[in-house]
Amino acid sequence: MATLARISRRILPRTFSIPLPGRAFSAEAAALPPPPPPPIIKESADRVKWDYRGQRKLIPLGQWAPKIAVDAYVAPNVVLAGQVVVYDGASVWNGAVLRGDLNKISVGFCSNVQERCVVHAAWSSPTGLPAETLIERFVTVGAYSLLRSCTIEPECIIGQHSILMEGSLVETHSILEAGSVVPPGRRIPSGELWAGNPAKFVRTLTHEETLEIPKLAVAINDLSKSYYSEFLPYSTVYLEVEKMKSSLGISI
Amino acid sequence: MQSSQKQGIPGARTRAEAGILIKERKENRQGGVEKKKKKKKKKRKKMGTLGRAIYTVGFWVRETGQALDRLGSRLQGHYRFQEQLSRHRTLMNVFDKVPMVDREAFVAPSASIIGDVHVGRSSSIWYGCVLRGDVNSISIGIGTNIQDNSLVHVAKSNLSGKVLPTLIGDNVTVGHSAVLHGCTVEDETFVGMGATLLDGVVLEKHAMVAAGALVRQNTRIPSGEVWGGNPAKFLRKLTDDEIAFISQSAINYSNLAQAHAAENAKDLDGVEFEKVLRKKFAKQDEEYDSMLGVVRDTPPELTLPDDIKSPKAV
Repeated sequence: MATLARISRRILPRTFSIPLPGRAFSAEAAALPPPPPPPIIKESADRVKWDYRGQRKLIPLGQWAPKIAVDAYVAPNVVLAGQVVVYDGASVWNGAVLRGDLNKISVGFCSNVQERCVVHAAWSSPTGLPAETLIERFVTVGAYSLLRSCTIEPECIIGQHSILMEGSLVETHSILEAGSVVPPGRRIPSGELWAGNPAKFVRTLTHEETLEIPKLAVAINDLSKSYYSEFLPYSTVYLEVEKMKSSLGISI
Repeated sequence: MQSSQKQGIPGARTRAEAGILIKERKENRQGGVEKKKKKKKKKRKKMGTLGRAIYTVGFWVRETGQALDRLGSRLQGHYRFQEQLSRHRTLMNVFDKVPMVDREAFVAPSASIIGDVHVGRSSSIWYGCVLRGDVNSISIGIGTNIQDNSLVHVAKSNLSGKVLPTLIGDNVTVGHSAVLHGCTVEDETFVGMGATLLDGVVLEKHAMVAAGALVRQNTRIPSGEVWGGNPAKFLRKLTDDEIAFISQSAINYSNLAQAHAAENAKDLDGVEFEKVLRKKFAKQDEEYDSMLGVVRDTPPELTLPDDIKSPKAV
């Protein structure tokens, strides 16, 4: 039925559209535009539906290869692509995607990028400054945050589910509450608490709160060490493959 | 002592020892000559024995290592972890609903495309996306990009009772971590990162949803407007520059997707070869080379295509 309609639409000139039988009498026929023909998809025989290797963690692009410090914890679901540098003591948690394909991304000392964050860098920043994403030391980036070409100065906390757009600058010792959206080019001044969509000033931080910020980063660093110790340096999947082969009687 | 001095052979105390030593040394010298001959004639064979010795030692070390791994696993006992092959399925069908992805589309391996999903030519589905066409269909046009960690889903039942397929048109840019649930997105639109589009939302051509917006059910966003906030409200109209930028960004992204597709499709040999090339290349210093008057090209495997490095600005 649908193919017939498609063929008829193509063969007949536009001005001479014959309404499809069954729709001519419906009230909706005149109101609704005809649905667009589905895109012609040429499938590839090579497309794999399932790759036993899964997704690679480090994806080099051209000359740039992601670098992870020796004692940084990067979860196995994470994708680091392009120019990404994860410095000592930092941790990148499950499901995060750090795409340094257009510009550089660096996660500083003892910082953490929590679960499911997406850190990206645009080609150019509206401020005109280099559009790299720079996360400095002792920064906690909460879960589900989206960071794009922003600079986060030392010792900050970015709340969960927050969105930092191109060119934004979060100055040192500031806290962004959960769910805040920082518009492009916005600067969050030092020592303040901002919240909301778009982010607005709430109050200044007391000195005690300012001291807590690096402590949070260090606490997450400690936690990441216990995760780090769970993983062997190299995968031992080959043992399972051997077992599977022997159980299925496959000899390769 | 006397005999050794007589013989003139150092290190021998008795005549018998001297005799033995002379024999050995004669043999050595002869053997040395023979060995030298052998060396000249069959150099590989002599290196072969040494090479084979090292190979065997390496083999012993690996055997020991594997045995130690087994010992360690036994010590860990109940809590030890046995790695499994990745069971993540990039393209998964739900019984008869099979995803159809075009040849030239880039689908990241960590994305999940499930059920009745059509992905058009030169579109890209980035890392960590989930496109769940399980209860209804999802159709993605040509040149569209669905960026990292996004979710495109269809609703089976919603408050108004309608069941809507999700239709995403051509050259659409869907930002990171967007959530599109049963909505219709027309051609050349821009969905900002972190936006949530709920059921029945229609995003008309050249419209834009700002980052972090929450567009409530059945909202119709007219052409050429920017909507944002929670709940989404009209913010301003798009300038012509910005509209042109949207289509340019879609093109830029599909070029970028090709680079990622090439990289993700590499097998182990390709990856290892590139690692070696990269190491070698890292040691090169252009300034030093130019001072010496040497011209070296970067190996072609390490160069990214130009359309990614300097995208056309609008």
